[in-house]
Amino acid sequence: MADPLELAVREQFHDPAQQRETSTVAMWVFLITEVMLFGVLFTTFTVYRIGHPAAFDQGSAQMEFWMGAVNTAVLICSSFAMALAVNSAERGKRLRLAVYLLLTIGIGLVFLGIKFTEYYLHYQDHKVPGLNFQDSTPDARFIEMFFVFYFIMTGLHAIHMLVGIGLLSALLLRTYLGSFNGEYHTPVELTGLYWHFVDVVWVFLFAIFYIPGAHMR
Amino acid sequence: MSQVTVSVRTYAFTWATLLALTLLTSVMGLLDLGTFNMVAAVLIALIKASLIAAIFMHAFFGAKLVRIVVASGVMWFLILIGLTLADYLTRGLLPFPGK
Repeated sequence: MADPLELAVREQFHDPAQQRETSTVAMWVFLITEVMLFGVLFTTFTVYRIGHPAAFDQGSAQMEFWMGAVNTAVLICSSFAMALAVNSAERGKRLRLAVYLLLTIGIGLVFLGIKFTEYYLHYQDHKVPGLNFQDSTPDARFIEMFFVFYFIMTGLHAIHMLVGIGLLSALLLRTYLGSFNGEYHTPVELTGLYWHFVDVVWVFLFAIFYIPGAHMR
Repeated sequence: MSQVTVSVRTYAFTWATLLALTLLTSVMGLLDLGTFNMVAAVLIALIKASLIAAIFMHAFFGAKLVRIVVASGVMWFLILIGLTLADYLTRGLLPFPGK
């Protein structure tokens, strides 16, 4: 059987190290474009929050605070499992890599389960703009705006989670097929970067949506 | 040659710190600190994000070029939010003729 390392080096690269560094930098550049994608939403949210702080606090008070807090911890655990997967890949431990990848996917699915439960509770509370939003307080218009931001930003985040779970599943398959070893495991590292980035986004989403109104609940 | 970038011990310590910060930010959220609620939440989020990027994402251990890319990303975002807020926060600050 051909050496997977030989197969893995594309012709435009001198050696595996150069190929790996190029891929890593490219992945970071892609993540920066993601920062800009979410950054626009965070900036717009900030502008609206500054304009209507009281309404946005009232909106925040209607979040499922503990579900959000638990979900933050859940996603941090998933990131930890991913970090351990990368560590196992670096050591060339195939079985451990597979176990940690499975764990990362599993904890990621727990996160999505809690997230969609929250969405369902908001639906039952008539808090989904454009579908069934109801609020009779004077600030209703801007509380609705808060929920528009909430659904768009956490929704975009959830889509990223789904993409991540797809990528991790592909990694799991490739691990099973024996594509990775101690020398070649760049896809594991790069998917890890993506997964941690999605975690970072959630850390900020938790901070801006759940915390400000938590004491008013 | 296989090499380990970050030890399991360091990952575990980072993980524990991140969980502790999540607990801290949640408890602080339950107290009424006025505007400081939002400020504290974002500050703790920044610390958590830096930890994840530096340790979990290896930015701290990576090539110089990676660090430059990370820094440029932060800079572009600061330009985006900084210039936008420079507009919105300063509207109505100065009177102008005819109004």
